[in-house]
Amino acid sequence: MSRVLIADDASFMRQMIRDIIEAEGFEVVGEATDGVEVVERFKELHPDVVMMDIVMPKRSGIDAVKAIMELAPKATVVMCSALGQETLVMEAIQAGARDFIVKPFKPEAVLTTLRKVLEKDRS
Amino acid sequence: MDLAKYRNLFLEEATEHLAEMARALLELEKEPARGESIDLVFRMAHSIKGMAATLGYDGIAELAHGLEDHMDGYRAAGRVAPEGLGLLFRGLEGVERMVEAVRETGEAPASAPAELLAELTAPGRAEGAGPPKKVLRRP
Repeated sequence: MSRVLIADDASFMRQMIRDIIEAEGFEVVGEATDGVEVVERFKELHPDVVMMDIVMPKRSGIDAVKAIMELAPKATVVMCSALGQETLVMEAIQAGARDFIVKPFKPEAVLTTLRKVLEKDRS
Repeated sequence: MDLAKYRNLFLEEATEHLAEMARALLELEKEPARGESIDLVFRMAHSIKGMAATLGYDGIAELAHGLEDHMDGYRAAGRVAPEGLGLLFRGLEGVERMVEAVRETGEAPASAPAELLAELTAPGRAEGAGPPKKVLRRP
């Protein structure tokens, strides 16, 4: 079972991602509400995947990806973006994020992306 | 999707966000270059946009998006133009009214008030508009 850490300042979004992925057998090991907390929780929980919002308080999702990559260069991070954030997503991918999903979330797209990045990790 | 559950979550969180945005705009009235407040209004508008779009509340998403983009210009400029605050307060009130409609009727108005949206999205309304949007390809 893959272990997932969810980072988003909106509890609505955290709940939605949790509902989508738990229904398919993923384990949500933790949640973070800002870009500082997600790095702390990553250190503590060692998740298989981090699902990371781009726009967060205290530290942006992009800066948080950079911090996580410094700690664990092979970490798997999927960015959660919105339409219109293409430039920011490209920055996050350059910083080491593996892939992205776009809000509003479609459950199938979330699950396909998650399975794809985990498959790459195993190969 | 359990619509009622997510609608309640939306109402709860959007109401908190709107209150925070109102406080931040009042702070910006006193201190137009207060970066923390500019950032907060931007983030809250962004968050409301995402939640509303997820629930198919397109009118709310559209107006919140207008506010978000407008604030992005001010973020780039590092300060809010004092003469622009009135429009921001009207944008906030517009979103509040639409969220209230969801609370009262369970449905969101189909579209955002056209004039307000046009004012928020008019080119050059906020200083420092960002670069043109790029098309994104998956890695």
